[in-house]
Amino acid sequence: MSDLLKITDLAVDFDTSYGVLHAVRGVSLDIAPGESVGIVGESGSGKTVFSRATMGLLRGSSVHRTGQILFEGTEISSLDSKQIREYWGTKIAMIFQDPMTALNPVRRIGAQMSESLIKRLGMSKSEAKDRAIELLTLVKLPEPELALEKYAHQLSGGMRQRVMIAMAIACNPKMLFADEPTTALDVTVQAQVLELLADLRKELGMAMVIITHDLGVVAGYTDRIAVMYGGEIVELATTTDLFTDTKMPYTEALIKSIPRVDRKRGSELSSIEGMPPDPTKERASCGFADRCPYAVQKCRDEHPELVDAGNGHSYRCFFPIGGK
Amino acid sequence: MVLKNKPLGFKLSTAWLSLCVLMATLGWMLPLPKWNSSDADALGVTMFSKGHILGTDNWGIDQLSAMIHGTRISLGIAVVSVTLGAFLGAFLGVMAGYTRGWIDAIISMYFNVTLAFPTLVLLLALVAIFASPDPFNPGTTLPRMVVLTFAITFVLIPFLGRLARAATVSWAGRDFVLVAKSLGLKRRTILLQHIVPNVLPSLISVSFLGAGLIIILEGGLSILGAGGEPGSSWGSLLARNRGDIDLTPHTTFIPVVAIALTVMAFNYFGEYLRTGIDNRDSRI
Amino acid sequence: MAGTGKAHLRDSPAPILRVENLVIEYKSGRNDPVQAVSNISLELHDGETLAIIGESGCGKSTLGKGILKLVDVTSGSVVFNGVDINTLDKEALRQVRPNFQMIFQDSISSLDPHLTVGRIVRQPLDIWNRGEESERDAKVDELLVSVGLDPERVKNRKPHEFSGGQCQRISIARALTLEPKVLICDEPVSSLDVSIQAQILNILQEMKVRYGLSLIFISHDLAVVRAISTRILVMYLGKVCEIADPDTLCDSPRHHYTHALVSSVPVPDPTVHRHSAILQGEPPSPTNPPSGCRFRTRCAAATELCATEEPQLRETTPGNYVACHHPRD
Repeated sequence: MSDLLKITDLAVDFDTSYGVLHAVRGVSLDIAPGESVGIVGESGSGKTVFSRATMGLLRGSSVHRTGQILFEGTEISSLDSKQIREYWGTKIAMIFQDPMTALNPVRRIGAQMSESLIKRLGMSKSEAKDRAIELLTLVKLPEPELALEKYAHQLSGGMRQRVMIAMAIACNPKMLFADEPTTALDVTVQAQVLELLADLRKELGMAMVIITHDLGVVAGYTDRIAVMYGGEIVELATTTDLFTDTKMPYTEALIKSIPRVDRKRGSELSSIEGMPPDPTKERASCGFADRCPYAVQKCRDEHPELVDAGNGHSYRCFFPIGGK
Repeated sequence: MVLKNKPLGFKLSTAWLSLCVLMATLGWMLPLPKWNSSDADALGVTMFSKGHILGTDNWGIDQLSAMIHGTRISLGIAVVSVTLGAFLGAFLGVMAGYTRGWIDAIISMYFNVTLAFPTLVLLLALVAIFASPDPFNPGTTLPRMVVLTFAITFVLIPFLGRLARAATVSWAGRDFVLVAKSLGLKRRTILLQHIVPNVLPSLISVSFLGAGLIIILEGGLSILGAGGEPGSSWGSLLARNRGDIDLTPHTTFIPVVAIALTVMAFNYFGEYLRTGIDNRDSRI
Repeated sequence: MAGTGKAHLRDSPAPILRVENLVIEYKSGRNDPVQAVSNISLELHDGETLAIIGESGCGKSTLGKGILKLVDVTSGSVVFNGVDINTLDKEALRQVRPNFQMIFQDSISSLDPHLTVGRIVRQPLDIWNRGEESERDAKVDELLVSVGLDPERVKNRKPHEFSGGQCQRISIARALTLEPKVLICDEPVSSLDVSIQAQILNILQEMKVRYGLSLIFISHDLAVVRAISTRILVMYLGKVCEIADPDTLCDSPRHHYTHALVSSVPVPDPTVHRHSAILQGEPPSPTNPPSGCRFRTRCAAATELCATEEPQLRETTPGNYVACHHPRD
């Protein structure tokens, strides 16, 4: 099956007063239609820059992006802003962490939703209103007709997130980018929103990319997971394989350091000492070498490439856990 | 020295302002004719003429001497009023921002009411009420200057005070203030050791920008006739000489250049300090 | 106003901190005052880590600050070493403060940006005049080392030069300077990366043992709390729902809210199936809480009794209490 989104060797550099910051160092990722992929990483991993770059949200003269982004076979990385709008919002949609800043505080919800429906899909005002109510019902927002008249600040965090999701799926996109969609929400609301996203995916046949730092979130809602560290993908596997057949020591260390609500109090929590590698430096070694419990000299002298272990599982390590 | 490794703008601004301060404090020692005495033999001579390096105006007043005197007045008013205004404004603003309640209500009301008046109108009114009406009588020049300084200070207090108050409210909400309380620090100590040192940098930076504005304001007031004795400050020099721009253009341009350079130097410092503060307070 | 009761308070062994019927109200515009903390009682025993867990708006942060009287307390008592802190005058309260310290979620905002780290950590000693100059410096070094920082590289720098995790270590060092009895941690690891979280939690455990601390750990993260606490208290909209030991609370929660909370926590394991007890609706507004049991509007087991009578804390298994008319089995 041909890929919906094919990213090849995406690299993003920033010019800063400290030097050139290599935020993303050559990332490739393919996403099939209807697939759910999680991109997991901590701060400094480059996951946010990577997702923003893919969404075309990085602008400015100090940003240098190279690489190829193909959507349904069309190269979109070099489109100008007018052409980009053909894709973003209609074929590819995005939702972000803080719905408060994504929604216009001085316009009513209904007006904001109708606006994009009228402009993008050429609907009339009443058609747009009906569709808006339809969408709000789809995202299980209570009393949708009343919600249309409200302003963003009158809704709770969970409800605002639902409105944002409703606006995102308005044009029946083929793919949804969710950038830390539940980080700012309470855990019970987070569960509701994740279930909603899973249901919508099934109903609309959307592909989904979830960018998060929370391995717990992706464990239950993704088909594949890409783990990012130091601007690179260090492991890419199906969700089951990532947890049961972990190959990259960083992934293993990450999983071990997460406290679990279903495990009894044990001994010390396993932590990863040290700090992420300096993004302004070129890398001649493995980025995780300084913090890896299994590191040997080769890890400090050479930079590992991604190795394909078969079954869609690739990792970036000379000495993977469980052998090659 | 302090100037090492600083950008060019910093060095130039420091140089110009140092020159101004030097002129203001020691310029009277130079062997020049008095700033308001006229040389009947050299009316309206151009720059670099014999005996008058910056030329004279139509009354024969030596421009260099006038400018040096003007430095003292213009810079003096700016520095004194900004310093007083910042001090008093900071005091009131920090009190209002930290204690809130009725103290804040009263102080904020004072701020807002004063700021509601158009600045220039308010200054004109204050000068008219409190200063002597005759600017030409030497005996009453000083009171005019004093009134002007205090009037400008009066207008600056709410402006800087509101800034200080907003900054205080913002800093007081930070967790380290809670930490200070949890350590048993008294309110006064918290204000002096934690709030004020953090509010001060942004206040100082705005004060520099304000100083530049005051110099221009003083010029405007002079043109409106509410300044000090004509020719005593840069602004009043400009006001008096601009009518003769076709005859003695240098007498207009010299004060203009001086005002422009000084304002630019002040602005530069203000911006420089502000970006320094922003860099420290923001994180990547 | 009735609370969920004090059935869970015991007199022996004597707790080092006992909070009874604490009410914290704050004004909300022209409306009636909001009760962020509505008649809560709890106690902290020596060497214990009591976790207070709840979602946003439940009042847990306000509770922590109220115990230290960093916010105004409307009524109730906070008894430490036999003395009710709430009744003390300003100066007496000051004197008691060194016994309690607090660390906060935003580690960077917890440090005064214009002071050096060395000065920040030394400040408590300077304020309370503990020891000679040289002794104070030595103490600062000792504390920085114990939190895993190199004093020489850290003392003369300012907070903005450090990461969130490092700032949290500095905060912990500062909090321990006066060797307090009680350390209240308000979401100390919530804004840190997972790998750093583990580092900080380990440091807290170490410090607890080394300095004989008792901790009150406020958090919304049940997984973190299960890993490090000895007792967990669940709050909802200013009230206590359940108090139990971590294993009991997480494996067999009695309160329906606790059950929903436990079910909602994402587990980093794709083979673990999630329960489907996902809460519907949103938390009601604290300005107008539901009558009787505050959780009844979202509870599948709610009956008329829940609307008329506020449930009291009752012992279920030894040492565990739940405030519910129809607790789960």
